[in-house]
Amino acid sequence: MSMGINFIYGIMKVINWSMGEFFMIGAFVQYILLTSFLGATYWYVGVVISALIVFFLGALVQRLLIKPMFVGIIEAKMEYATIVTIAMAIFLRNLAVLIGGPYIYTPPDYAGPTQILTLPISGNRLVALIGALFLLALFYYFIKKSWTGKAFQGVAQNRSGVQTAGVNVLKYDMLAFGIGTALAGAGGALLAPIFLVHPMCGLVPTVRGFEIIVIAGLGSIPGILVAGLTLGIAESLGSAFINPSFVDIYGFILLVIILSIKPYGLFGKAEREV
Amino acid sequence: MKIFTLKNIGMLVLLIVAVFLPFVISDYWCYVLTVAFFYTIMAASWNLLGGYTGQFSLGHHTFAMIGAYTSTLLMSKAGAPFWVSIPAGILLTIFISCALGILCLRVHGIYLALITWAFAEVVRNYFRLHYAFTGGDRGIDSPLIFGTMKPTPYYYLFLGITVFAIVLIAIIMRSRIGYYLRSIRDDSIAARSMGVDIVRYKIFAFIAASGIAGMAGAFYGHSIGLISPVMGDFNEMAMIIIFVVIGGMRTQAGPVVGAISVRYTMEILREYYEIRIVILTAIVILIMRFFNGGLMELFRRVKKWIRRDGEGPASAYQEP
Amino acid sequence: MDDQGNQLLEVKNVVKMFGGLRANDNVSIQIEKGEIRGLIGPNGSGKTTLINLITGIYDVTEGSIYYYGKRIDGVKANVIASMGIMRTFQVARVFRDMTVLENMLIPAFTQGQSGSEAKTRAEELLDFALLTRLKDKQAKSLSGGQNMLLQIVRGFMHKDLKLYVMDEPFAGVHQSIKGIIIESIKMMNQEKGVTFLVVSHEMSTVRTLCNKITVLCKGERIAEGTMEEVANVPEVIDAYLGG
Repeated sequence: MSMGINFIYGIMKVINWSMGEFFMIGAFVQYILLTSFLGATYWYVGVVISALIVFFLGALVQRLLIKPMFVGIIEAKMEYATIVTIAMAIFLRNLAVLIGGPYIYTPPDYAGPTQILTLPISGNRLVALIGALFLLALFYYFIKKSWTGKAFQGVAQNRSGVQTAGVNVLKYDMLAFGIGTALAGAGGALLAPIFLVHPMCGLVPTVRGFEIIVIAGLGSIPGILVAGLTLGIAESLGSAFINPSFVDIYGFILLVIILSIKPYGLFGKAEREV
Repeated sequence: MKIFTLKNIGMLVLLIVAVFLPFVISDYWCYVLTVAFFYTIMAASWNLLGGYTGQFSLGHHTFAMIGAYTSTLLMSKAGAPFWVSIPAGILLTIFISCALGILCLRVHGIYLALITWAFAEVVRNYFRLHYAFTGGDRGIDSPLIFGTMKPTPYYYLFLGITVFAIVLIAIIMRSRIGYYLRSIRDDSIAARSMGVDIVRYKIFAFIAASGIAGMAGAFYGHSIGLISPVMGDFNEMAMIIIFVVIGGMRTQAGPVVGAISVRYTMEILREYYEIRIVILTAIVILIMRFFNGGLMELFRRVKKWIRRDGEGPASAYQEP
Repeated sequence: MDDQGNQLLEVKNVVKMFGGLRANDNVSIQIEKGEIRGLIGPNGSGKTTLINLITGIYDVTEGSIYYYGKRIDGVKANVIASMGIMRTFQVARVFRDMTVLENMLIPAFTQGQSGSEAKTRAEELLDFALLTRLKDKQAKSLSGGQNMLLQIVRGFMHKDLKLYVMDEPFAGVHQSIKGIIIESIKMMNQEKGVTFLVVSHEMSTVRTLCNKITVLCKGERIAEGTMEEVANVPEVIDAYLGG
């Protein structure tokens, strides 16, 4: 999730506020696929298809709404991007209520409860964990090794620079937005049995996602893993020793502490402004 | 300064109409308008921040919620009177926004949006989950300020607060601070080089806007009698943005026109809750994409078009 | 102040790194009160970086900057501005959604001038710059040259202006506007004793305007003196002709 947000920001310097809704769409698509076409055993196929569908949706949104920012029609870019993606989020959320109703759907389990050594663990969580790690690895490999990935690194560092080197920046923007949203969609599909499927199910992961990128520092991909772990540890420590019902607050306190010490996040750098 | 301009007379007429309106309309519409006034204040104060200063707070609704809960809880748990609890609610929002402002306005502007958003969700969850103290999802009864269910006194109360908030914002924007805020939005680096202490004025704008929201929230709770975590729902924030964008960003009348006209439309379409939001957000996206300026820009263009038509091409104003 | 004699600004062994790039390498410059100093050098020689260091937009990596004998590196940009240092930018940075007159008022307001005083002064300056008929238009409707001119006269609104740092004030500007800019620099220099540091590519203008010139190349100061002196330094000839 955070990967997706930060990836889009890194490339396009835009925060996509409707990320949680793409997560939700991924979860819905997965639910429909599993209950009507595939059946629970082929959940991994479902994840891939959901990610693909969300990818195209994300790319379409980018083409229609975000691209005009970069071809010079829109003046106040941040203002525009923020408002449009927020409106998008509310639009999609209410559209989902309109279509699916405000109900909670429970998708079938991906795997039964298992035991690791003596620790009982829900199969769904195990699947989600392995799936997320696999996605991260795949994403990392893609960025570091493939030509497309190298081009992305270039775009993130210097937009006009790579443009002169013959890279079609606008095409990569669309791809980046698509991939970023697809990560959210895949996340939604993977986590569907845990968070369940309803129009607001993207909210919790998005809050956490934003907290993670602020802690990590905007645009820093390696920072995310560290920040995610730190946040997880802070939350479990807080629930274990203080009070389990206020999990969110511990994460936020951690964020406040880190920001007061390092204003740009753990791995962020001050940007060159002029 | 000319006082009797067409604009000022128009505003005076509107104000007089607003004062006499409760004699004509039903209690229900009186209530609807009171709520609309609340949103007008929220939209106008958010416009001060998001529109003029270019700083996006996504926790504006949360500050109203904090104001409302603080005042209500102080009264029901500690037995404080109104004149203590309401200022206390406003002070708390000012204090929190000051701390958040110092924390995130030192760095890139987008941090304010990210952090206020996370803050909003955290606060909402706190109010939902700590039900022994806050009443949880069910909400909490707020003592009514006039002790009556009749909407008319609350209507006048909110009319008064709205006028106060709008005048306050107008004064800020016409003062030096207003100049600084606009210069920061336009080009913060140039503003800095001209001697503007940008961090200080950004934080000022954030505190002022949040304080106004806190005030509106505190009074709102005591006017509708029940507050719940719904006030902290992100939909509320989105509505504020919708009002401002549809009315017209960076205009003083925009948020007012936007809030009242959109609330009115929503009231008419109240049976189709989701559809109306879907439509409204779609309108916002279209406005942002194709027609930056909202209703006020539309008025301006129509006015210009009429003028040009009347005065002929000789005096046609050269469009920049 | 007295023991500094005529010295207004002293840049001492300043280094600025961007990652591994040395944008300014051990640069030292002294500027005296009342000077119009030229700062030239090929593209990428660190002129704009130096300006950003002096005006507090960037922090120095090493070295120090003194102004009236007081250390100003590390001081915030807005504080530096209120000490009497104004600047312009290579690409004119005006407040686009504000009118020309409102643009002019900002530096006067930050320095605590009263509204009427500031307005009178702004109108005077706009008159001089032939911008009076545009004063109620939004700055975004102005042409590039007009914006540059506005940016320059806006700095003159500072009531205790001591040092004016200009980054490429003549770049892409029409001949007639260029004339106004030169005239305004000369006027402010003679009447108010304002010191100028002007970065420019236009040798002929720099030659007529500036009494002393500093040359930067690849982040280092390679020469200083009058145009004639500088033109004879072998490194300068190398830098401009040898590439």
